[in-house]
Amino acid sequence: MFLKNLDLTTALRPSYLPDEDLLFVQDNVGLYEGKYKLPNQQNGQVYLTSHRICYVDKAEPRKYSAALDLKDVERYEFYAGFLKSSPKITLVPKANKRASLQPSRNGNASPAQRVDSPFRAPPVETPPPSSATWVCTICSFSNPVPSNFDPTTASEHTPLPPCLACGIKPTLTHILKAAISNATSRQPSGGGPALYTPLPVRPKPGSELPAPATQPSSPSPFQTADASASFQCPRCTFLNHPSLMSCEMCGGPLISNDLPAELTQQRRETDSPGPVLSSLAPKTSEALESVKLSFRGGGEKIFYERLKGSITQRKWLLQGAPPIPKTSSNGPVGGSSTGAATGGGGGGSAGGNQPERVKIAGIAGLEQRGQSMRKNNEIVIGNAFEDLEALMASAKEIVALAETFARQVKGAGGATGSDNALLAESASQLGLIATKDIVGSGGGGDSLYLSELARTLAEFLTDDSRGVLRKAGGIISLVDLWAMFNRLRGGVELVSPADFEKAVNLWDKLGLPVRLRTFKSGVKVVQGRDRTDETTIRALLAWMQDLHNFPPDREVAWDWQMFGRGVTARDVAERFGWSIGVAEEELEMAEERGVLCREEGIEGLKFWENFIDTGEGATMPDPAKVENERITKALKESGFL
Amino acid sequence: MSTTPPTIFSSGSDPATDTTTTKPTGTLLPNDTFPFPREFFFPPFFTRQTNLTTYHAQQTKWSSLLLSYCRHHRLFRLSLSPEVLPFHNPRINRRLSVSDIKSLIDFLKKDGRAEYVPTSSGKQKGETEGDEAFIYWRTPEEWGSLIESWVDETAQRGSVLTVYELREGEGTRGTEIWGMDSDVLVKALGTVVKRGKAQIFQSGEDSLGVKFF
Repeated sequence: MFLKNLDLTTALRPSYLPDEDLLFVQDNVGLYEGKYKLPNQQNGQVYLTSHRICYVDKAEPRKYSAALDLKDVERYEFYAGFLKSSPKITLVPKANKRASLQPSRNGNASPAQRVDSPFRAPPVETPPPSSATWVCTICSFSNPVPSNFDPTTASEHTPLPPCLACGIKPTLTHILKAAISNATSRQPSGGGPALYTPLPVRPKPGSELPAPATQPSSPSPFQTADASASFQCPRCTFLNHPSLMSCEMCGGPLISNDLPAELTQQRRETDSPGPVLSSLAPKTSEALESVKLSFRGGGEKIFYERLKGSITQRKWLLQGAPPIPKTSSNGPVGGSSTGAATGGGGGGSAGGNQPERVKIAGIAGLEQRGQSMRKNNEIVIGNAFEDLEALMASAKEIVALAETFARQVKGAGGATGSDNALLAESASQLGLIATKDIVGSGGGGDSLYLSELARTLAEFLTDDSRGVLRKAGGIISLVDLWAMFNRLRGGVELVSPADFEKAVNLWDKLGLPVRLRTFKSGVKVVQGRDRTDETTIRALLAWMQDLHNFPPDREVAWDWQMFGRGVTARDVAERFGWSIGVAEEELEMAEERGVLCREEGIEGLKFWENFIDTGEGATMPDPAKVENERITKALKESGFL
Repeated sequence: MSTTPPTIFSSGSDPATDTTTTKPTGTLLPNDTFPFPREFFFPPFFTRQTNLTTYHAQQTKWSSLLLSYCRHHRLFRLSLSPEVLPFHNPRINRRLSVSDIKSLIDFLKKDGRAEYVPTSSGKQKGETEGDEAFIYWRTPEEWGSLIESWVDETAQRGSVLTVYELREGEGTRGTEIWGMDSDVLVKALGTVVKRGKAQIFQSGEDSLGVKFF
């Protein structure tokens, strides 16, 4: 199936794949399959990431959430809405996905199935080395990357050919990214089918992509004999330039010409507001397989724009991609290491260098290695910060570097350890945070932003690897959390205290695993939902019980084996890792419940187990009760009571 | 009273057996025969509790401690000083503050178990809070009926007795009435008078006589 199950985080958000970036969130979205509404998926949030579109149902998030991989999307269409019909985005899966109805988790159909596909020939997955294309940002024409373009040596001074269609010169990073994604798409041996171009397949000018040209006779009526020459508009039959998105004559949307006829015809009818899909409805493959997102709360335009961007970027190809080609060829090593861009990827280039390198053993060798590594790092960092686009392109590498630096410094000096941990954390934090920019502004004003912020916070708090709550002893004051959270954002997209508080107040409503608690004094703290007053009291009491068994540091006047000893807020803070304010509040909470009692003395305020009110407390030790009863009895006997 | 203090507070001894075997009466302090309850050695017992439930329990325990202490020593009036024994525990060096003592006496007063001793200056205005208080481990009514039953037993109805006789006479020796505080005794006799079972008359200066019917 096109739609897959979705793993959710504790905060009921999609759990992201490695390197996956959140691009956009919109709430109040319904799902259609074909022209039918999916009955249980009519109100939810849609998360657009660099890899997927995730639907998280509002009512039953664990049950009805679904996701689809962008790499399986053949085509996407925009429908602006009409009268009562909401704007929709239709996502048409790839042909091989439609042909094979089996749910496939990894999204890769087996080669055998693809051969069976009537719509597509077995792909030729070995394009010539020069087949990299870059899509012009102005006219979205796919240009070939010049064959002499070498990503490893390219700089801003490298001459770049202008776009063949509109004549606008591309930016270096644009071509760089195209070349890299091309290199990575060819890297896995055997040519994974997942690496198909997910762009709407159009006849590409020139011979740079032979696959469509070598197709066997297709049933499509739009398939002309010379497919690459022009592109016929299905509405007015005007022969358009292949790179156009809409017809030059009538303005109608142009459809890829290798699309099955049934589907293109079907598409016209699906625009009407559809009936709800009943479980008995016949499942004809192609009609049911296309998925529509109905944007009832607006936000469809931004979603569409970002979807377009992310399908163009094809970030999923970067997964497991080799690092940015290194310019180590300029270093002392010498040799041709351009293989990374042109041929076998990173591994091949390293192998190619080996024979030419003079082997130096021992300390000298280690030193040389270190030196070349440092040089390499310098180049990578230098390149990355040249401009922001390049930084985005090499973000992965930079993040890895930042982490290693942080580790190194941490190893060197322990004092600044926490700062470096913070640095590393903030590096890994890049991208996965809800910002006002990411979240759609549909209808409800800030509410979506706030609920996303609340979820982000909940994830941030419950993230085991970061252990924010755990380090703070399971409880953290709201102000501390706010400061920490904004620090991790690295100075951009800071959250205002007002928004922060509003978001935090949403936790209960959203059913997230953390909760806000207000102490008697008005201090607000954040703690896990499982952490109630009872568990806190139990922990406190267990500790105080221990104090009965361990002798105090110095001689005390009272019977410590019977009463234990008094503890100050400071002791408690140390023991449980709380801040002193929190410890005070927790102690007073326990006192309020009658579990502890206080002693004000020259040593300050101390808290003790409650041996005073032993009459009705559930925690009182038996001897005290006996004692109490004995006194009452004695008094009664002597007629006082 | 050379009772050797029990050793449960020195960690060297065997406290486990001590706490369980030292009689159910509590713990003795040096120079005192009263077996103090366990709470008396609990430091927070001397701090006013903020939790209302706990505070109530604390006051109840304090008042029962006070009453049994006074009864043990047959004290009729108590000096409300934080330095004297029932309000001060020298062993753990904790004492009840003056205001806490006052609220404790107020608490007892509500039950009719205590009364401030009127100071000489406050006599006209009725009751003022002085430095001393009567602790009624028996209320004047109880004392009154006690005296009455003693009069019955000794068949002295109809006869006239002086207060001095009651307090220090040979007749009451060996009974609870002997050695009573005179003010308390007068108050007790007053309750009997109120019930119409006795009459007090001045039989000379400073000596009161009482006749039981």
